[in-house]
Amino acid sequence: MNFDKVISGFFFILAMTLNFGFFYGNPEVLAEHSKYELFAAIVVNLIATIMKFGDKTQVGSVLLATSLVADIQLIGSASIWAIALYGLGGLDIESSTAIISLSGGALLANITSVVIFVGDTLKSKR
Amino acid sequence: MQSYASWIVIRRLRVPFIIIIVTFAVSILGMMLIPGQDDQGNVYHLNFFDAFYFVSYMASTIGFGESPYAFTYPQKIWVSMAIYLTVIGWFYGIGTIVALIQDKVLAEEIARSKFVTDVREMNEPFILIFGYNNVTKNLIQRLSQIPRRMVVIDKDESKIDALQLEGYHPHIPSFHGDLLDVSVVEMAGIKSPMCKSVVIVFEKEYKNTRIAMMCKYLNPEAKIIVRSNTLQNNDYLYTIGIDHIENPFRVISNRLHLALTAPHLWMLEMWVHGHPLQIGLHERIPRGKFVIYGYGRMGRALETGLVKANIEYIFIDAGDIFTQNQKKVEKIFSEEVLENKLIDAGIDDAAVIVAGTRDDMVNLAVIMLARKHNPDIYTIARENSLSDLKIFNAANIDRNYILEEIVANKTYNYIAKPLANAFILQLTKRDDKWGRAIVNRIVTKLGRKPHLCEMSATLKQAFALYHELEKGTKVPLKVLKRSRADYTKNSAVIFLLIKRGEEIILLPGDDFLIEQGDQMLIVCNDESEEDLAYILNNYYEFNYVLHGKEKISGVLEWFYKE
Repeated sequence: MNFDKVISGFFFILAMTLNFGFFYGNPEVLAEHSKYELFAAIVVNLIATIMKFGDKTQVGSVLLATSLVADIQLIGSASIWAIALYGLGGLDIESSTAIISLSGGALLANITSVVIFVGDTLKSKR
Repeated sequence: MQSYASWIVIRRLRVPFIIIIVTFAVSILGMMLIPGQDDQGNVYHLNFFDAFYFVSYMASTIGFGESPYAFTYPQKIWVSMAIYLTVIGWFYGIGTIVALIQDKVLAEEIARSKFVTDVREMNEPFILIFGYNNVTKNLIQRLSQIPRRMVVIDKDESKIDALQLEGYHPHIPSFHGDLLDVSVVEMAGIKSPMCKSVVIVFEKEYKNTRIAMMCKYLNPEAKIIVRSNTLQNNDYLYTIGIDHIENPFRVISNRLHLALTAPHLWMLEMWVHGHPLQIGLHERIPRGKFVIYGYGRMGRALETGLVKANIEYIFIDAGDIFTQNQKKVEKIFSEEVLENKLIDAGIDDAAVIVAGTRDDMVNLAVIMLARKHNPDIYTIARENSLSDLKIFNAANIDRNYILEEIVANKTYNYIAKPLANAFILQLTKRDDKWGRAIVNRIVTKLGRKPHLCEMSATLKQAFALYHELEKGTKVPLKVLKRSRADYTKNSAVIFLLIKRGEEIILLPGDDFLIEQGDQMLIVCNDESEEDLAYILNNYYEFNYVLHGKEKISGVLEWFYKE
């Protein structure tokens, strides 16, 4: 068993599942989406990104790229939340759907990342 | 080849980044969960933005104060814990970044990637030079005057630092690394199409040969210049197709032969290498008995020259002038043994003493002892290293063969003055009578210190001439000799040699017709060199020397009818 793989696999998959947890629910009703879950998703995604640093292989580069995409989308989603709430004076349906759809985009990136990770692990002979 | 610098940075920052993220996340979460009180005494929770804002300025020790309301005690307890957590994480991150800036591995990686980029972006022909030592330093200084682009690699980092301190312009990319390592040589651009020549002039025979072979295989197009001191190795290098081989001993041998048999040709050869066009009485080598100290590579080379010139000579074996001290391993130089050897060889009635060992100190001692016994003797010394130049000059030696200088001069001529080299080659086919005629002609026209320049009838170097030739005008050489002040007079130039393709025309006559692409070797002085360059490049000047009248163009053409 490769301890390195356990740690990085844990973070990659956790990032995906948390992201899904936040994404799941009616996009027009923000009460169905926990802000704590978005926070956890952002933190775990950032950690997953750093776990992918420093891998010089082709697969490593693609993994890093997917993670960066997920980061940008999740942080964008949180930023829209903050700006709508404090800058524009309240959340409406448009901003809440934007928040959820951005996290949906991040979810796709995370799924890609996990698929590549699992595929690479299956291919490995050790 | 990829740059590793960014990877080193990313790798090192992995742990600090994770620590910063985790500590921030924990602190922010705590701040949100712990209830606070607003100014009216109502219970409230910090939202994400408040918590993130507060933790950001707390962790970075900026500390704007408690916001949005003063904290309750449970909040203060959490904040005091969070301060230690986040500040330590933050400082650890900053400390890692500072350490990274000072990191030697990273600095070297950055230098390496800069070198690789510099070499890759070299968009004009360049010369790859191995090693930064006395010889190549001399060479680099002169080549950067012309200017030529160069790339230098040396195995010693301090030498590369010294080169970079010199601040040559144009910039010379340089790096240190194992010169026998293919990846280092590739990094230095051996495979680049712009790499036109390679200079390998170390003293070590084996090293030169190995590097030369490697370069030949990596880039068959580039001209490779190698120093090689023995004849066997010369043959081998020719077999593998090396273009130019520098053998300083053969140069010395040829020079000695010329000096003894054809002093005027000798004078011309020395002049091409920067000596004035005269030879003092004390400089003339007498045709008497030679005593040669040291029968090594230099001795053998001299022997061939002396045999050809039919001169009597005697060798002294330089073997055992060092006596082993009984207890110490250190060798002690024995003057007595040396003196006896010289006396045995008949130093008293010799005309010339040659000190030709590879030890500069022994050479100086030989010269001094020979003078003691025979004050009028002509002294020839071999100087191995340029750094001993001052001592040798002070010793007042009649003829000093500096191996490193010979190699540097020859290499410089080969790269920068190909025609001068061709001229020297022609000299060996002529006799002294011819040499004397040339010397007289040059001296009466231009004095004792004329210089040599090379020009060619190309668009770049001779704009006006090139266009005139394109029109089909016949331009005899005498046109170029005319003065641009008065076309009936001649300026002080002598056309020594013209190279057309592979053909070499020595001393072309006045009616010689110039063609496009001809390369000319010209004896001139500062003024006439400038004048000639004007004539070759400026339409009006060229028209004047060609027809003897001013060229009229533009509106004025309607008024002046020919």
